[in-house]
Order: sequence, then structure tokens, then C-alpha cells
Amino acid sequence: MGLFSFRKKNVIEVGAPVSGEYVSLKEVTDPTFREEILGKGIAVLPAEGRIYAPCDGTVTTVFPTGHAVAVTSDEGAEILIHVGLDTVKLEGNGFSVRTEAGSRVKRGELLLEADISFIKNAGYESITPVIVCNTSEFSSVEAKTGRKRPGETCLELTK
Amino acid sequence: MKRFSYTITDELGIHARPAGLLAKRASEFKSTVSLEANGKQGNAKQILSVMLLAVKQGQTVEFSVEGEDEEQAAAGLLSFMEENL
Repeated sequence: MGLFSFRKKNVIEVGAPVSGEYVSLKEVTDPTFREEILGKGIAVLPAEGRIYAPCDGTVTTVFPTGHAVAVTSDEGAEILIHVGLDTVKLEGNGFSVRTEAGSRVKRGELLLEADISFIKNAGYESITPVIVCNTSEFSSVEAKTGRKRPGETCLELTK
Repeated sequence: MKRFSYTITDELGIHARPAGLLAKRASEFKSTVSLEANGKQGNAKQILSVMLLAVKQGQTVEFSVEGEDEEQAAAGLLSFMEENL
């Protein structure tokens, strides 16, 4: 952000939850995500397995299997991070949850740890969709693709 | 108010894809659509709310539909459940 730019009030920046290469949802083989059935967003090929909070907010959902977590930002954006595809079938193996539903989190706080090589060796894709589940409440959801470290903006939402 | 219940036959339960599709279908109606399962309540129009119920195969979801189009909504959602879950 430049010296003279300012944060627009109605723009919400979602931080990258994990380091890796961010790509369009169109690259995801699972049609649930590719067809934006859960909402618009972005996907990341994770370089490692630590998944951090994408925004300040509240952890709304942690799946008991640890493969997905959702955080509702203080501005009301519902962000779902789904680690890998079809990984519900791993039944928790390869995932360690580091938060719990109802917790207040700051952007960058550790949410869960995934063993990316375990996931791949088990035959699953590690690509991780980051979805705005309440997409309809925003006029635009802009994906910022490319290589990112945790906390760098990966989505820009406009109310 | 229209009520009906549906017992899940899909072996994965209401996972991500059906939760998204259910929310989409429910949002096509004006009526409010409340769900109850596992002692928890949810709003069928919100994907995360549906997912939070974590409904598994063999479990029953109670639907409560209320609004001007509740007849069509209840019928539409029941057939959605039968076709998808």
C-alpha cells in the first residue's frame, strides 16, 4: 500500500492462510469449488501445512476431521478454508486442529496443521480452496493470484 | 408453517457440496427455512450454518419452512433432499 493510498472502508482484505501458489478456483478439479457452489474465492497449492487465520474474527466452524475450518471476519465475511480435496475421507488423519469453534482469532493466528506429504501420499490433492461462503453479500470478490506468504492479501471483497 | 423431516441416506452425510447446493436451493424461496439436527439449529440458506449441523448418514433433519411460498418451498426442498441426500 503506497504512502498516499488509503484503505477504503467497504473493502475487506482477506489474508493468505498458508504460504504457497494462489490460483483461480477454475484450476480446482472438484466441481463443488470450481463451479463456485460454496461461493467465490481462490485456491492455494500449499507450500507447507500450517494454516493461519485469514482475518480478525471468530472461528465459526472446525470440522471434527480437521480438514476444514471457517472464520467469520469482524466485517461479516464467512471464509472457509478447505485443506485438500475430498480430505473428509481421511477422517482426521494428517490434521491437527489448533483452535476451536467460538474462538476469537487475529489474522495470522495458527488454526490447524496439515501434513501435506501425508495427504499427497494418501492419494489426495493438497490444493486448498479459500472460499467466501456468503459471496452473495458482496458486490465483488477479487482473487489475487500468485505466490504468497501467510497474511498477504489473497482476496479483496467489496461490500 | 410447513414442517417435514428427512433421514439422510448419502454415506457422506451433508458434506460441502450438498450443503452448498441446499443453501442455493433454499435461497430461491422467500420463506425462512430452519433446520434442526443433532440438537442443533441452522439456517438452510447459509452454507456454513448447514455444514455446522454435521449431519451424518442415518440422521434426521427437521425442516421448518415459513413464509408466503412455504408450500412450494417445502415441496421443492423435500424433492431436493430425496434427489441429493
